[in-house]
Amino acid sequence: MRSGPFKHAIVAAVIALVVAACGQIFSSPPEWTEAETGVLRSLWLDSLPDLPEDRSNAVADNPKAAEFGRKLFFDARLSANGGISCATCHQAERRFTDGLQKGQAIGATARHTPSIVGTAYSPWQFWDGRRDSQWAQALAPLEDPNEHATDRAQVVALVAEDADYRASYESLFGRLPDLPIPDPLALNSAFANIGKSIAAFERTIMPTASRFDEYVEAVVLDDSNRQAALFSDDEIWGLRLFIGEANCIQCHNGPLLTNHEFHNTGVISFPGDVPDKARIAGVAEVMESEFNCRSSFSDDSDRHCPELEFARTGIDLIGAFKTPSLRNLENTEPFMHKGQLATIAEVLDHYNQAPDSMIGHNEAKPLGLSDRELGQLEAFLATLAAAPSLYFDNI
Amino acid sequence: MISRQIVSYLLVFCFLVALPAQNATAHGGVVEEDDLCVIKVNYLRAHFKIYQPGVTGHEQYCEDLPVASESIFVMEYQHDSLSTMPIGFRIIRDVTGKGRFARIEDVEEIEDLEEATVYYQPPVVEPHIYLANYTFLEEGDFIGIVSAEHPETGKIYAAVFPFEVGFTGLGYWPFIIGLLLLIQFQYLLLSGRLKRWFGKAPVVATCLIVCALFVTPTAFADNPVVTYTTPDGAPEINRMHNWILHIENEDGLEIENAIVDVEGGMPEHNHGLPTKPRVTEELGAGDYRLEGMRFHMSGYWEIVVTITTDSGTSKVTIPLQL
Repeated sequence: MRSGPFKHAIVAAVIALVVAACGQIFSSPPEWTEAETGVLRSLWLDSLPDLPEDRSNAVADNPKAAEFGRKLFFDARLSANGGISCATCHQAERRFTDGLQKGQAIGATARHTPSIVGTAYSPWQFWDGRRDSQWAQALAPLEDPNEHATDRAQVVALVAEDADYRASYESLFGRLPDLPIPDPLALNSAFANIGKSIAAFERTIMPTASRFDEYVEAVVLDDSNRQAALFSDDEIWGLRLFIGEANCIQCHNGPLLTNHEFHNTGVISFPGDVPDKARIAGVAEVMESEFNCRSSFSDDSDRHCPELEFARTGIDLIGAFKTPSLRNLENTEPFMHKGQLATIAEVLDHYNQAPDSMIGHNEAKPLGLSDRELGQLEAFLATLAAAPSLYFDNI
Repeated sequence: MISRQIVSYLLVFCFLVALPAQNATAHGGVVEEDDLCVIKVNYLRAHFKIYQPGVTGHEQYCEDLPVASESIFVMEYQHDSLSTMPIGFRIIRDVTGKGRFARIEDVEEIEDLEEATVYYQPPVVEPHIYLANYTFLEEGDFIGIVSAEHPETGKIYAAVFPFEVGFTGLGYWPFIIGLLLLIQFQYLLLSGRLKRWFGKAPVVATCLIVCALFVTPTAFADNPVVTYTTPDGAPEINRMHNWILHIENEDGLEIENAIVDVEGGMPEHNHGLPTKPRVTEELGAGDYRLEGMRFHMSGYWEIVVTITTDSGTSKVTIPLQL
């Protein structure tokens, strides 16, 4: 290269650029503005409203029903081979998931096991929202040939023949009819009551405050020393991306970091499967479900069912899955509706690229984040770790 | 002449821009329209695409596939009636000898269709979208056959599309030939021979196309004014709530007995509301109760209110920042 004034100028410019870039990367994050503090407050667990009442389940908040439901939840006799309980797939130490791509019970299930934590707040259950209450949800796997593979008559018989269960059931719902129960309405009613007891237990499974929540408290109290002690710069930059440029908060909003709604985000199909139609099939199923809010098994005599009444249908819902909560992702890999993505880093990379969806359209847009920024987002997500609690344990 | 030069360079530019769309050639019952692959089953149409997720991820193909591997066939219906028709799908080895010119008549002449079949999904009613998954075991020429049975007449419509697995493409030859033809055309245009042959037609046609792009549709005739209140508190995300719509005409007179439909969405995200809200009651004095509103994201929303009265239909858009 020819020496001369140009060379010096170029070297000086390169040094200036490197210094400027490093300054940008290593600079401390700015203070939160009032508007940003408002957004952080909206994600704070302290902002979680009271649990919405489940008018379709008269025993939803009855501790006796929750205790009965807890026993049922862990009872493997509720299956064709006596080896599968709800807890087989919904493992408490994995935030009530199972660490597998698809659930494995009597057979392989169709999708990844979703968590139960905080789902009492959701109007829709399952990845595709094909049930509209926790109690209706709890009944479906019992009769799924790939899950518990039992049936309602056997489930009711188990409760009737176990003295402890029968006593619990009858103290909550009145006398259990003699077996076998020939009247399908009476059988279905008893089956629904068993689901309502399991739901009463599941309603107690809630997230607990994480380091992120402590940090938000420090921001709200304007305690900068505590903020610095709680969050590293990378975690703060990650949080800034989360509520800003990365658009995560579009769907992962509110104190549970989910809007409980359905979105197509272009996740690739599972090997051997056709792409999953998801919500468009789920909404059709919930409308026809024999245990939905409008059914005679609901305890709400008004049959007040605004979710069903105003449920959206149509092709926008092709390939749309329910937004999962992001609280406590530790030990819950893999991710997405069929466990297609093995790590959080893969999930972040997927959203960074936002590929065209195989069916329907991907609502997400490419983000163009750097590897460093993706790392900061991952660091932030780890601050949401906190084992769920069973409030019921404290009663 | 400047105008001739502009036209000729525009043509070369358009050719180069359009090049990426030419990767897939389409034939048989599958055609390319507006950069979309469309299958035509008689008068019924569906957006058609194939994926090889294990090999090329989200890359989509119109027909020809690069390798023998798991292949997902997707038909997104453009006619609702396909949602109610039993649809069958069959893939056969190409035993017609016609290659990519094979037609339905050629398939009908095959004596032992079962013997040639590598994949068959019997007719089934699949609402909204049809999906099939077949793993090709070998490369070669294949023919896809889609059938749809009319639910009332029982008539069966079929579409046939020949395709190749292990398709290597034609490389850049079509592009090079096209470019050579264009350069020749450009020479003719610039030399003035084209003008002598055809007059000013090419220049005039280009002007007409450009002019057509600037023609905008006309607006609605009425101008109703819609305001709203939220009796359950201000709209916030993830909570179902009601609105009271108040509708007046531009002179401040309340509009009554209107049919009021409400849609909404986030234009920046290309999606609608999470619910299907509905006007459930007319309250009088231009007020209408709107139930089932819910927003599931912060950001910019638009609520589109369609008002139909004896004098016609108007649309009013309410912007909303959450």
